[in-house]
Amino acid sequence: MIAKAGSLVGRTRSVLDRVAPATRLNPLTIKQWQRFKSIRRGYWSAIGLGIALLLSAGAELLVNSRALVVSYQGDWYFPTYGDYIPGRTFGLDYDYETNYRELKRMFSASSAGDWVLMPPVPYDAFENDLEAGVYPPYAPSVASRHFLGTDTTGRDVVARLVYGFRLAFTFAAILLGCNFVIGIAIGCAMGFWGGAFDLLFQRVIEILNNVPFLYVIMIVASVIVPGFWTLMAVMVFFGWTGMTWYMRTSTYKEKSREYVLAARALGASSKRQVASHIIPNTISVIVTFIPFSIASGITALTAIDYLGFGLPPPTPSWGELLSQGTRHLESPWIGGSVVVAMVLVLLMVTYVGEAVREAFDPKQFTYYE
Amino acid sequence: MARTSMVYRGIAIMGLGALAACQGEVDEAQSEAASRVAVLPPIEVAEGDGLPDELPAGLVWETNDTDPTFASPDAKRGGTFRTSMLSFPLTIRRVGPDSNGSFAGPLRYNQLGPVTYHPNTRRPIPSLATHWAYGPDGRSLYYRLNPKARWSDGVPVTADDYIFAVKFMRSKQIVAPWYNNYYTERIRDVKRYDDHTIGIQGADPKPLHEMHYQYAFGPVPKHFHEPRMTEDWVQATNWEIEPNTGPYQISKVDKGKTIEMSRKADWWANDERYLRHRFNPDKIRYRVIRELNVAYQHFVKGELDTFGLVLPLYWHEKARGPEYDAGYIAKYWFYNDLPVPSAGMYLNTENPILADARVRFGLAHAMNFDRVIETVLRGDYDRMPTFQLGFGDYDNRLITVREFDIDKANAYFDDAGYSERGGDGIRVRDGQRLSLRVTYGAPHHTERLVILREEARKAGVELELQLLDGSSSFKTMQEKKHEIAWMSWASQGLSPRYWEHFHSANAGKPQTNNLANHANPEMDDLIMSFRASSDLEERIALAHRLEQMVHDAGVVIPTFQVPYTREGAWRWVKLPEWLGTRTTGALFNPHRLSAGIFSSGGLFWIDEAEKERTLEAMDEGMAFEPLAVMNIDYRAD
Repeated sequence: MIAKAGSLVGRTRSVLDRVAPATRLNPLTIKQWQRFKSIRRGYWSAIGLGIALLLSAGAELLVNSRALVVSYQGDWYFPTYGDYIPGRTFGLDYDYETNYRELKRMFSASSAGDWVLMPPVPYDAFENDLEAGVYPPYAPSVASRHFLGTDTTGRDVVARLVYGFRLAFTFAAILLGCNFVIGIAIGCAMGFWGGAFDLLFQRVIEILNNVPFLYVIMIVASVIVPGFWTLMAVMVFFGWTGMTWYMRTSTYKEKSREYVLAARALGASSKRQVASHIIPNTISVIVTFIPFSIASGITALTAIDYLGFGLPPPTPSWGELLSQGTRHLESPWIGGSVVVAMVLVLLMVTYVGEAVREAFDPKQFTYYE
Repeated sequence: MARTSMVYRGIAIMGLGALAACQGEVDEAQSEAASRVAVLPPIEVAEGDGLPDELPAGLVWETNDTDPTFASPDAKRGGTFRTSMLSFPLTIRRVGPDSNGSFAGPLRYNQLGPVTYHPNTRRPIPSLATHWAYGPDGRSLYYRLNPKARWSDGVPVTADDYIFAVKFMRSKQIVAPWYNNYYTERIRDVKRYDDHTIGIQGADPKPLHEMHYQYAFGPVPKHFHEPRMTEDWVQATNWEIEPNTGPYQISKVDKGKTIEMSRKADWWANDERYLRHRFNPDKIRYRVIRELNVAYQHFVKGELDTFGLVLPLYWHEKARGPEYDAGYIAKYWFYNDLPVPSAGMYLNTENPILADARVRFGLAHAMNFDRVIETVLRGDYDRMPTFQLGFGDYDNRLITVREFDIDKANAYFDDAGYSERGGDGIRVRDGQRLSLRVTYGAPHHTERLVILREEARKAGVELELQLLDGSSSFKTMQEKKHEIAWMSWASQGLSPRYWEHFHSANAGKPQTNNLANHANPEMDDLIMSFRASSDLEERIALAHRLEQMVHDAGVVIPTFQVPYTREGAWRWVKLPEWLGTRTTGALFNPHRLSAGIFSSGGLFWIDEAEKERTLEAMDEGMAFEPLAVMNIDYRAD
């Protein structure tokens, strides 16, 4: 047992040891983690990003037009998740979804003892909170709980930001997954097999790289409404190539190393050579690219949304918010909010990326004597 | 294709001449061919067409010298009207490549047709012709040209210019396929009866009072073009100032920068009843300012005399400040009564959900247009009550819109079987959600649609927004792949059109304008009688019935209309007391015909004395009363 008291890695590892001895972290990984932790900027960025992700995962509890709890005539209701509750349930005269903000006002005006607990930001990303005679966008106001104001159709900017962030991050993460799986598989195969296969895919990738990706998105968007998965498909189709070059070179390099030759001599199958020997030894290449791929996934989605070729309205999206902001410079809270949010998130992701790269940098452990 | 190849050939010939002088012989032969004046072939008349050689007996010559005039006798001639254009024209030719650009309007409005329509009464009034008559075949027109009419170079306008016009428009030299086709397919014959009497024959019979709109055309100056009808007519006439018959003629072209037009002092029509006291500025200076916002800044500085302020952003946000408060710049809001674009939600009845009329009615009652108008549209737009509007007596004013009413919508949807609601509050029938896709092509309409969408959820119907780019959204609709088409048809002319939008001949097949795929035999009959009838009373009655049927079928949910123009003008630009006419589309357009046919432009004038007073007051910092005028004389309600 190498576990050091107070070390997160140590504790995690000891837990892992007990659960599955095979997952014991090797000393190199521990070194890398410690190295990562010692880069404060990256470490805190990772924590900040983690918190943001956690909060956005539970955004329905924080930013939502549905109440957290309603106490009505002695019964308790939790409308946040699940089916909508029609207004009639609470003695209102309509069948559509209850307007909980109004319900709250009504309950507090009456003395029946009913109450409503709203989330801190009592708006969702779709509803238009409009007043007749006053024209949106509305400026930020604590009284109306539009902490960052509203957009041009009276939708809360905080809600659009939070749900937009969640969507963009999910998108970027799935995109990353798909790109890496395809990119690593093909890249490794190219490096491992070489020859005709390598040549063929080099040409395929060159061709794909020369197709102007944005035009394809524009053409697709003009013919169909690009949904989440169509956009994903198009972006994966052009995005997987990025990883292949790195994996190809690493594989070429690793393939000629002695340990791979040894494995081959012992009769390991190609699959085993690649999966068990080569890939684990190129992991630093892969890990280093993760944060930057996330960042580029988020920016790509924002950019195509900004241009109007992205997710269909009224999906909450940073790009759409940004384009509203540039069209309504006289309402600086729209553009300002999204720019600040975007800069923060991308900075954090980049810091994490830097730290990861540095932590995984093999030169760290090379000494010339 | 033909157009481009011709242009390129022309350019190639010029280029060869300049670069390779040593190839002299070949080039000379070519350029000689290019510069050889062609004799235009005589007008070919297809079998079954053709005007009689003598004027038909019993023609009833009509004129109009009794309708009220609409220009102000107080108007003063003089001054320069300074306005802007977004780009410099690529040519000042009237037809041919690149001629349909930014400057086409000012050029064409100064080429008069035989008649125009009165902007208030909508009846034909004399223009180049003094009298007109309708032929017994129902598709020909006879005109007596005004003997006073002159081209700007002093040559009289005669029947020969009409004969030439058709030859010219059919010729290949002008490289204008649309005109070639129009003057062959729609205009079937033209005849000269004497120097000032002509006949024109169109393709199909039309209601009498609409025939001028359908078939009348303006003459082309034979003496000017005939010697120029060479292979390279297009190049040769790019910057040639063609004689015209209107009040203004180009007097100066500063390429890339400005075009100046000057008023003809002795214009032949100065004292004609409907043209007197109009077209008052001595000069009109069109200056290129490539950005709207920059042009607005020029206007506020007093370098342009007027500026269009229809857009809410300009009217509400930008058009404020000291120049307005001190009354130097006036703001005009003028309601007009022009054909309104048919903006609506077209419900595709081939869709199983929308095939049920109860769903269509419920949907109409679930659309909260008023909320959209009150909020994002800043109260600027009006609700469109009917499918077609702005055709005077043809309008059916008895129809009222299906108002936003959740109870009514609920009742219709319940009745149609969508009585259950799913977990998300959207109605369901036998597992089918009441969810409909709205196809549209204008990104700035998204903000209108998201509000409608959120409000419609209350009635348990979901709108799925499908924003495509402009041309592919139209393509989707033309292929009838839409569920709900959110779009708008341009409106022109004197009477509404039903055949293309509602006749069963256009239902259920692609590339037609029947976006609802509406088919109703009773309506077909009415539409055919409407098309065949040339009796005004009958046509109006039929139009009212048809509009009612459209409403009763509920296949179109009319959306918005903008029944006005809004403009800003410096204090010295004066308008008649009544500002404009019923059909005025733009108050400060110096020559415009509105809706393509109504003679409504050129009513304003520049008051030089007032200009001096205003400039002095500005120097001394003196203020006038702010000027903000709203005119609702022609507002519909």
